[in-house]
Amino acid sequence: MTGRSIRQSASSQARRAAQKALAWFDEMIANCYQYATAAKEQGRPIVGIMCEYTPRELIMAAGGVPVCLCGGSAEMVPAAEKHLPANLCPLIKSTYGYLLEEANPFLEMADLVVADTTCDGKKKMFELMAQARPTYLLELPQKADDPDAKAHWLRELGKLRSHLSRQFGVRVTKQRLRSAIRAMNRERALRRELAALMKGKSPPLTGRELLGLKSSISCIPADLEQYQTAIKSLPARKAKADLASRVRVLLTGVPVVHGAERVVEIIEDRGGLIVCMENCTGLKPILEDVDESAADPMQALADKYFSLHCSVMTKNNRRLAALERLAAEYLPECIVELIWQACLTYDVESFFVRRLAEEQLAIPYLRIETDYSPSDSERIGVRVEALYETARARRRA
Amino acid sequence: MICAGIDAGSRATKVVLLESPAGRVVASGLVDQGLNPDAVAAALLRRVLAESELTRHAIRRIIATGYARSAVSSAHTTVTEITCQARAVCSLVPEARTVIDIGGQDSKVLHLDEAGEVRDFAMNDRCAAGSGRFLEVLAARFQVGLEALGELAARSHTPAPINSTCVVFAETEIIGLLAAGAEPSDIAAGVAASIATRIAALAAGRATPPVILTGGVALVPNMAAALSATLRQPIRVAPTPQFTGALGAALIAADQSR
Repeated sequence: MTGRSIRQSASSQARRAAQKALAWFDEMIANCYQYATAAKEQGRPIVGIMCEYTPRELIMAAGGVPVCLCGGSAEMVPAAEKHLPANLCPLIKSTYGYLLEEANPFLEMADLVVADTTCDGKKKMFELMAQARPTYLLELPQKADDPDAKAHWLRELGKLRSHLSRQFGVRVTKQRLRSAIRAMNRERALRRELAALMKGKSPPLTGRELLGLKSSISCIPADLEQYQTAIKSLPARKAKADLASRVRVLLTGVPVVHGAERVVEIIEDRGGLIVCMENCTGLKPILEDVDESAADPMQALADKYFSLHCSVMTKNNRRLAALERLAAEYLPECIVELIWQACLTYDVESFFVRRLAEEQLAIPYLRIETDYSPSDSERIGVRVEALYETARARRRA
Repeated sequence: MICAGIDAGSRATKVVLLESPAGRVVASGLVDQGLNPDAVAAALLRRVLAESELTRHAIRRIIATGYARSAVSSAHTTVTEITCQARAVCSLVPEARTVIDIGGQDSKVLHLDEAGEVRDFAMNDRCAAGSGRFLEVLAARFQVGLEALGELAARSHTPAPINSTCVVFAETEIIGLLAAGAEPSDIAAGVAASIATRIAALAAGRATPPVILTGGVALVPNMAAALSATLRQPIRVAPTPQFTGALGAALIAADQSR
């Protein structure tokens, strides 16, 4: 073989590996189901979680399998509206609809569900869910820069640790905590590397594809392997020719959970490329690691998780600082903020995000408020296209 | 060289033929929207060409805009109504800083920079309350035309308060007002004020003057006055306000073929 043909075959091998990694995550729910079923058979408890503030490390150190329960299906909403008001966030309604319809296998096999007092909608929905499932609630204080608030959060995590120990008959030792922290840090680092592939001028994948590269259950060994494969092989993949010419979008706001990717698809179908997703299903929870060498791993967990910048926090300056930093790294040409209907905290906070976009970053900003039903897809499409027309006009100027 | 703009809107399709580079409007036409927006646009284009004794070959470039823009098969490309409105208003009133466009099914507020480029825009969401649809519902209830509705509203001294933010519920409210003996002129003025309130919310208190009104609803007498009262500043109605979308599309087509 000549040098050239060796290089060619190596790159076609890499492309195949990249396709395989993407295909692996297409089966994410099935993979998670298989993993959770096997774990349960081995006697490991399944613990549902509904918020990124819940440290998965605590559950893993107690021998449990944390599974994200956030609902992304529009089909579950009508059932939920039997008990919940129509004017509520679709993510909350969908999550609760799954309970009533007994349609989420992970919620069905859950031995415990842990939630946080992040937003009022989740908190009150959780009271309803608690009638049907064993639950545990973490109280999240919301004064972002108050040392007392963080001290309270540390105590809350301590109480969860004791609860998990009692519940599952396992001693949650420092050693077990450190091992879980190392595993989660490893996964966060891999996902950060994947996201960083979008920094280049001609990214090898779409934002929609990147969004698919994650899992409802963290640290499944086969997932970690596929993350590594994707990081190594994706750069060799022949990117779709038009990706480099599309308008670079930074998406912020509410999480885009599995099944609720409609707006992400509209953004990219209409000529955009989401180069950075600053939300709970994107970079937000993986930007910082937990200090592995800290003398007290509980304090390290409290430090990391309390610093998450959800819009329930006040003042939430960390989010604006993160957006500014990410904009400098990923070079978006516009910001799209997604707000699920009735998500008050993101809705109000959009005032500051718009101001940041227009005054500091000097790029156009678009706020999209919607729910899981597709009735406004065309209207969203028009607005997104108009945003790109503006961004392109600025490119020329 | 002739360039064409086709605005395939929710209630009507509009065509503007533009002579380039002079920028002179050669012909224009309007027809009600139908079930097949492509056929409606094609027939209108044929009609306008025939009226101005031109052939299809005279047209160098066609741009479609409006909600059905992607359905217009004769168009070389599409541009959103937001960019088209801005382009047209920038040409008609170069000093404009805000454009309020009230169409048949939606309404929008555009904020323009000094160069006439769109700086920011807002559109109504899943609701027709701030749009021409509201007036149509009322006109149908009163069994009068849109024009007569505006004249009716202009006669009112005490506009009836319409509180519903939804067209469907507002109609119920109007039935209640009629039953209670309210004057039709006061109800018509109340509806105009209600639309103006929705537009003001869309503008979020940032309607930098001069403010230009476009869209079919601008033709309804009293609408500009109602908006002006709510926004507490003068509102100028664009020349041929129904055609600004199509004109913008034609101007962009001319820009592109330069």
